[in-house]
Amino acid sequence: METPFTHAAFKPDAAFTGAAERFFELLRSFGMPGAGAAGAGRDWSSLAGPLAGQFEQWLKTSQSAGPWFAAANAAASGPGAGVGAAQAGFFGPLPLGAGAAPQQDAQRTWDLVARLAQLQGQLASHWSEIAGTAARRFVARLGAMAGGAPSLDNALKLYELWVSCAEESYAATVRKDDFCRLQAELANTSAALLVEQRRHAETLVRAFGLPSRNEVDALYAQLKDLRRQLAELAEAARSRGAGAPRPTRPAGTGRRKRPRKARA
Amino acid sequence: MRPFAPDAEAVFAELTLRIAQTLTRLREVQGVTVGCSAKRAVWSCGKTTLYQYLPLAEAPSRAAGRPVLICFALVNRPYVLDLQPDRSLVRRLLEAGLSVYLIDWGDPDDADRCVDLEDYIERHLGGSVRHLLDNHGAEALDLLGVCQGGVLSLCYTALHGKQVANLVTLTTPVDFHTPDDLLSKWVRGLDTELLMQSGNVPGEVLNGLFLSLMPFRLTQHKYVRLLTGNSDQRALEDFVRMERWIFDSPPQAALALAQFVRWFYQENRLTRGTLRIGGRRVDLGEIRQPVLNLYALEDHIVPPDASAAMQRYLGSADYTGCGIDTGHIGMYVSRKAAHEIPARIISWLQERH
Repeated sequence: METPFTHAAFKPDAAFTGAAERFFELLRSFGMPGAGAAGAGRDWSSLAGPLAGQFEQWLKTSQSAGPWFAAANAAASGPGAGVGAAQAGFFGPLPLGAGAAPQQDAQRTWDLVARLAQLQGQLASHWSEIAGTAARRFVARLGAMAGGAPSLDNALKLYELWVSCAEESYAATVRKDDFCRLQAELANTSAALLVEQRRHAETLVRAFGLPSRNEVDALYAQLKDLRRQLAELAEAARSRGAGAPRPTRPAGTGRRKRPRKARA
Repeated sequence: MRPFAPDAEAVFAELTLRIAQTLTRLREVQGVTVGCSAKRAVWSCGKTTLYQYLPLAEAPSRAAGRPVLICFALVNRPYVLDLQPDRSLVRRLLEAGLSVYLIDWGDPDDADRCVDLEDYIERHLGGSVRHLLDNHGAEALDLLGVCQGGVLSLCYTALHGKQVANLVTLTTPVDFHTPDDLLSKWVRGLDTELLMQSGNVPGEVLNGLFLSLMPFRLTQHKYVRLLTGNSDQRALEDFVRMERWIFDSPPQAALALAQFVRWFYQENRLTRGTLRIGGRRVDLGEIRQPVLNLYALEDHIVPPDASAAMQRYLGSADYTGCGIDTGHIGMYVSRKAAHEIPARIISWLQERH
């Protein structure tokens, strides 16, 4: 799922609209008529359920939609999608997927997708806990702030209180060791899935006689080693005072339209 | 019973109107520009470019002075230090007559997947330093490291102390294992080998990570606050400039990011004295030059303790640490910081020139 925060070209108006809509929705929950009879006492507990529900929904869509898990979401796009469809979504029209990958590789990818779904289920239980705690905390703190004359200022004050409760509940949960472990495992599984998919792509690339990522990386390592040797030679020459070649010219010795590239 | 009475329809009507007005105004200011001071590229290495900010005509001439090199983080764009005329650390330094240079790490692509921290510290930062020393005929410069760039600057200064006369660090973590460091807790269990193998990390991923440290304040609350009606047109422009910067993050070279996570966040090597760059041990005790360390007291990314710990590990007898009452981003652009931080840096440097 794409949110205004995951898009490459960020649109503040879209983010504002989304936040304003949620604010509006929240106020509707606050002021929803008929949920409690007038004079029934200062019991706002019935507010907790709808608030928690809204909040949990938002957590699910905004947190798990982060690009960190984009690969995972793409791969796990529906029970009927299958590995081939997932990879087609990820790599476009390349003939990749279960059909192109050896059976063993396809199984590994399947296992990762299944693990990811399992982990996301566990994550959902944390969102539920955060939402429930935040809603209860909010209701408990409403106190004198509630029931005043309806005004936008009062609405914003209620919103401030709600945000404080939400952040506090969120902070309490996401600092726990089990949440941190889950977060890391989700990221690691997503990365493993991405690596697996790239491995399939490498197989295909080799079949066409194209240089693979690993080969390019190996070349880079060689280049880096040569650079290091060159720098050591230059440094040795410099320290001997033998007039090692200067990597740059003094400023103001000529007009340059482009910056100079370093030699090493 | 609800905290809002059922007769609140008038409020909803007002709110609807306010949303529409704010949206219109936001769309009007979306074209705001960022970056205000004239600069030119003077050196480059890989995707990294070293910029010189052109001196201001009205500034006192101190051309013979030591250059100040700003080393920003890899994870964000450096133009936040020169966002607009009244919020520009760069401009304040230029107004004080300093020769200001800045490293822009650029956008790593797949060819840079194996660029590592040694490359960034020794070739890119080191190359920039050597270029400036050659061109200025100086033996040492003043280095100003910001956030992750401060970590790189600490490493470079520890390894090449003679080339750095004074070191200034802003929101720079040193101890990555302080109890309140949520980011550190989250990345502690990452498999950095897998992270490296899975390729460069898009800027959006890191943005998402930073936003999820405080998701309601950072993705909801700040927008709703625009509805309070206190935002004039200029404040709205400032807001959009910041938004543009926050969501304009470069991708991260896979190997360098994996190393940074492992060596700093997971193994806390800087404080343990076990960090090695280019085969050499990075010993913060070797940093004996004057150090000014400015950190934010409300920082949710680099907790103040993580930065203030620096003093315990330095060999410098001239250390000044100062906590500023703002948040991480506020250190670069808040109105309070826009005045206080440049003033502190300039006076501290002037006392040591």
